[in-house]
Amino acid sequence: MTRPFRLLTASGTPYLFLLPGLVILGALLSVPLYKVVEYSLYDNVIVERNPTFVGLDNYRNILGDPGYWSAGFNTIVFTVGSVVGHMIVGIGLALLVNADIHPRARTFFRSMLVLPWIFTAVVVALNWQLLLNPFGLINYILDWLGLISEPLDWLGNPDLAMWSLLLISTWRGYPFIMVSFLSGLQTVPRELYEAADIDGAGFWHKFWHVTLPQLKPVIFGVALLDLIWTFQLFPLVWLTTGGGPGRATEVLSTLTFRLAFVDFEFAQAATVAVSILIISAAFTVLYLRNEARRL
Amino acid sequence: MKRHLPKWALAAATSVATLLPASLPAAEIEWLQWFAAEDPTGFYDQLVEDFEAQHPDITVKLVTQPFGKVRESIVTDNAIGVGSDVLGLNMPWTTEFLDIGILEPLDDYLARDDNSFATSDLVEAPIGKIDGKTWMVPLNAFPFVMHVNMDLVKRAGFDAPPTNWEELSEQAAAIAALEDGISGLGLPFSSQPPSNGPILTFLPLLYSNGGRIMDGTTPNFDNAKVVETMEFIKTLNEAGAIAPGAASRTGGVDLEEFIAGRTGFLISPGVHSSAITGRNPDMDYTLVRVPTNGTNAYRVHGWEIGISADSRNKEAAWTFVNYLLSPEVNARVAKASNALPGNLAALDAVREGADDTLIKQMDILSGDTPVEEMRQSPKAVASWSLMTEELQSLLRGDQTAAEAAAAVQARWMDQIK
Repeated sequence: MTRPFRLLTASGTPYLFLLPGLVILGALLSVPLYKVVEYSLYDNVIVERNPTFVGLDNYRNILGDPGYWSAGFNTIVFTVGSVVGHMIVGIGLALLVNADIHPRARTFFRSMLVLPWIFTAVVVALNWQLLLNPFGLINYILDWLGLISEPLDWLGNPDLAMWSLLLISTWRGYPFIMVSFLSGLQTVPRELYEAADIDGAGFWHKFWHVTLPQLKPVIFGVALLDLIWTFQLFPLVWLTTGGGPGRATEVLSTLTFRLAFVDFEFAQAATVAVSILIISAAFTVLYLRNEARRL
Repeated sequence: MKRHLPKWALAAATSVATLLPASLPAAEIEWLQWFAAEDPTGFYDQLVEDFEAQHPDITVKLVTQPFGKVRESIVTDNAIGVGSDVLGLNMPWTTEFLDIGILEPLDDYLARDDNSFATSDLVEAPIGKIDGKTWMVPLNAFPFVMHVNMDLVKRAGFDAPPTNWEELSEQAAAIAALEDGISGLGLPFSSQPPSNGPILTFLPLLYSNGGRIMDGTTPNFDNAKVVETMEFIKTLNEAGAIAPGAASRTGGVDLEEFIAGRTGFLISPGVHSSAITGRNPDMDYTLVRVPTNGTNAYRVHGWEIGISADSRNKEAAWTFVNYLLSPEVNARVAKASNALPGNLAALDAVREGADDTLIKQMDILSGDTPVEEMRQSPKAVASWSLMTEELQSLLRGDQTAAEAAAAVQARWMDQIK
């Protein structure tokens, strides 16, 4: 065997091991990514066999469209509202199921509370549609309590639809925060709580001055991850409200789908998709920096 | 010099030969449709098997998807060049599919002498020419009708279903007043996909009022008949006759609520009668023509089939279409879907042993005027999304009927410019 060949084999072997992963990544990620960016630079892609290159015209059109900004605003409301909901409910429940109770009861509650995470978006959407139906259970209970005089159309009233969606999203997404926070809680040294007990600290003092500071990196990390996921969430919104009533719950991901498969404006859809990609990428960079700092 | 094949080549050739079937089919075609998804009996698998038995040189791969997914699949499959050969189609998709070049014109196939059917026997609406050509043929047909829960009609003090708008208004309000949770009529105006409530309920009422939303191939939504029909449903809503939550009510929920006996009337395709009688056999049920306001016209609908322009097996695809349209096979398809045949030569075979609901649909089809405007509509699917949004706004009281009609027209024209 010649020396150059030996050298090539020695230095190339690691790359050979990387090759399958690189090929899969290339096929599954880079090609679609490239195609979406390419589509956004042409007019009437897919509909036209020979689309015209239009440069950044689609971006100019989208940025001048009030529908895009309205969907963008809804996306921010939905994302921030969902993440805040996930954090409050997730952290609260993590503290509860971390309490010193009978191990069997603890396992039971932990298992039950993780359930919303297991259901698919279709199941979640259908169940909540039934619950929030004008003749559904929630209206029945509110009526029984004397809080409403006539049934509310939770998902069909523009003033209520986004709030209803946030409720559903919170219910669906809190288990991830709960599980992450719960595992973080196991890592807080017990000595810190013992020291706080000796100092006479109550539950809230211990939570604010021991638990939260200890878990700040975890909270920041999972909140960013949740932000990235929720920002581009499509199925739950599409299956629950379809972006309606009117466009009251239209978010950027449902706008992308509407432009592509309702209006057949694939180039415009690709443009909105690229804008989602850019924002998601920015969040991802933030997340990776945070993770790097923790290591 | 005598040359021998190397042993390894001989072995390879033998292996390949044993792996190959005795006779390869000349063609394999794919049939993408939603029909089998709506038939729990396995009828379409049997249909394909029977075809393959008669045509051993062709195999058919049945690709079944829910209705809501098929349009999307046809477009994306076509874009990446893996489209099915025979396509299950819905008339409103026609114009947008022509814009993309998905469909093969069928005129040359229809002109052949050896077809199993006569073109003149086919239901007219789907084969009407667009751009001078025929693009699809009807597998079955059904009118939009009004399904009636006679239990509720009788409890409200009436002997017979409504025949005109005035009676509909009176009966729907009386049924809604019976008890909490019971409504006269449902309007499925949810934005959820396919968001097609207006074409399920609004258009049938408009046609029974003698109105139209198209002027040839141009949207003409802003007209007096449209406004009058919108005002009628607004009046029904204000009288409390409409089920609450129209803006979140899907077509599926509307059907389920009727089957569960919580709605007096349901305006939807006649083909839903089998689901209603099958799922709630105890209901005192009947179907009637959509109550009129002076015109006996109905929205005609059906399941259509066409051939993909990119198909590599167009001859085999047509052989299969030809088989489906033969009077015997088409009668079987119609009976299986509790609809009328696309080939009217199969009508007598279908009528034989047909139940009362099917006979009533036949009477509507033969006596009233069929209307189908969506197949010529540009951006049809997007257009009914717009209608949904403006009708939601109308029922909320955010705008008048005239404003809603003008808004749909303006937005629709903006879509197609």
